[in-house]
Amino acid sequence: MAVTPRASVRRVVWRRSERTVPAPLAAEPQPQELLAGEEPFEIAPNDPLVAYLQAASGAIDLTRLDLDSPALQEMRAAGITLAIPLIANGELVGILNVGPRLSDQDYSADDHRLLEQLAAHAAPAVRVGQLVREQQVEIQARGRMEQELAVARLIQQNFLPKELPDLPGWQLAALYRPARAVGGDFYDVIELPEGRLGLVIGDVTDKGVPAAMVMAATRSVLRASAARLHEPGAVLARVNDSVCPDIPENMFVTCFYAVLDPASGALRYANAGHNVPLLHTPSGPAELRATGMPLGLMPGMSYEEKETVIDAGTTVLLYSDGLVEAHDARREMYGSARTASVLAGAPASSQSVIDELIAGLDRFADPAAEQEDDITLLVLRRRGDGALADFKLQSAPGNEREAMSRVAAAVDGIGLSPERIERLKTATAEATMNAMEHGNRYDPDLYVSIAVRSDGRRVSVSIVDHGGDRDMPMAPVPDIEEKLAGRQSPRGWGLFLIKSMVDAMHQESDGSRHTVVLEMTLEGGSDDADKP
Amino acid sequence: MTQAQTTLTVRVPITGVAIIEISGEVTRDSDAALKDAYERVDPHARAIVLSFEDLEYMNSSGIGLLVTLLVRAQRARQRILACGLTEHYREIFELTRLDEVISIHDSEAAALAAAA
Repeated sequence: MAVTPRASVRRVVWRRSERTVPAPLAAEPQPQELLAGEEPFEIAPNDPLVAYLQAASGAIDLTRLDLDSPALQEMRAAGITLAIPLIANGELVGILNVGPRLSDQDYSADDHRLLEQLAAHAAPAVRVGQLVREQQVEIQARGRMEQELAVARLIQQNFLPKELPDLPGWQLAALYRPARAVGGDFYDVIELPEGRLGLVIGDVTDKGVPAAMVMAATRSVLRASAARLHEPGAVLARVNDSVCPDIPENMFVTCFYAVLDPASGALRYANAGHNVPLLHTPSGPAELRATGMPLGLMPGMSYEEKETVIDAGTTVLLYSDGLVEAHDARREMYGSARTASVLAGAPASSQSVIDELIAGLDRFADPAAEQEDDITLLVLRRRGDGALADFKLQSAPGNEREAMSRVAAAVDGIGLSPERIERLKTATAEATMNAMEHGNRYDPDLYVSIAVRSDGRRVSVSIVDHGGDRDMPMAPVPDIEEKLAGRQSPRGWGLFLIKSMVDAMHQESDGSRHTVVLEMTLEGGSDDADKP
Repeated sequence: MTQAQTTLTVRVPITGVAIIEISGEVTRDSDAALKDAYERVDPHARAIVLSFEDLEYMNSSGIGLLVTLLVRAQRARQRILACGLTEHYREIFELTRLDEVISIHDSEAAALAAAA
């Protein structure tokens, strides 16, 4: 700050406003800016001197000022006799303070003018300096915040499932899309004894590191409880009692927990105040409602438990409020009605439910605004009444390869190992050849109908031809030694191969049609079908 | 009837051992091609290596043709070896017990070493 060389000068830390300049900064000016031996002091924002200086039109003689002001007393005590307000844009940004002249004479009118001119030039420069400083502080603070956000994100990423289990007959897909200020959303899929599956979605109120930590703790407690307790209501009650003592005040956790028995489709669930999961069944929309208080509010709560059966073709959507409470540019919410309509559109897979919801949301949400809250989606789908493929093939040599590739495409991703898919392909090709050759006698006007079905435990391929009115040729069980010795035809491997490749094979005829059904078990994808 | 998508190449890498490289399909349409390839092998060869490196598809009819080839080779006192089978076809060779009469090797080099 500019000073007149012949006057002793004292700098005063001037807190422009409590709001824009943090107090710690104002109290800690850079040492090199101070003259040796000088200590700054502060003027309270409500000191009457501030208002006086703000209104003053030039240099003020402090010795003659009559004001009940602690700051004035302090400045006088420091030997300041003249104060010239630094005004930039009509705002008091600092004070140019001068002590008595070394000659002990009063400042002249010329001195006043000079100092006032100096103040007029200095004020905008001081203001620029202050702004730069404020900017720096803000950048530092933001850096700290970014760091915190990074920590919160790290916690989130570490506590979300790395991959989802592969469930024959079911499809699971999940999405976690954090907002910039990471929230406390979480989801989990827990593999339980007897093939059951725990499904969790939750949301911790609040954001950032504290929310992420509560999320991590809740998730861990829930995993531990789920392993010990069967009933979802009991699990939530246990989790609630566990988190209650430690959860920060004003924080709580909403959480929906369900246990699925994939074999029967039975789903038991309880809800601690979380968004009600939506269902789309072949007969229409539904919800998974159960009452219960959020976790962490008070111990000793009980949670209503319900059970439903997820039928084939049904999709279950667990979601967080980041989805339904997203706003468009007119501040209208996305809402559960829009969400339900995406479900009702019967997307082809769990992943496409998520893709369509997110695409719809991105079309809806205000593109200028950043995502308000975390978005978490967990979609469970039971494959539609088992139909994986239906097609017809003309009876022509070589068309069995078409059957192979279409069956392979149909069973992709339903829980058959690549080796077992190869076996099913070979069995399909052999049975299709038999159907075209023996059933339809390679009549190009006769077709072979092929249907691939799955009930979640077993995949079946049925191959239908038009030879139901006659017996299938029955080759003797092939024996390589008999064949090499010429006692058996070198051919006749087809039926043997089919039976060796699949877990079960049966045939039936209704007088006009002949059907061969090939079956393969999905559970575990066990590779023990080496039955002769 | 479609034309068999089979290409058979006969090579003689060492005296007395022939390699029949089977590329594409082995189905009932491969009958003539397989017979032709066998005719091209020196009748005095000790061993024939069937290389399935480029096999795309073999069905039960193709297995029948292999058995026919095997019968002819046994009459001529020739050993049959195989290499380049995928896991799936290796399994089929085991199920049909073809592996008991055709010795199966991972690579052509291994098959040649066994045949020499």
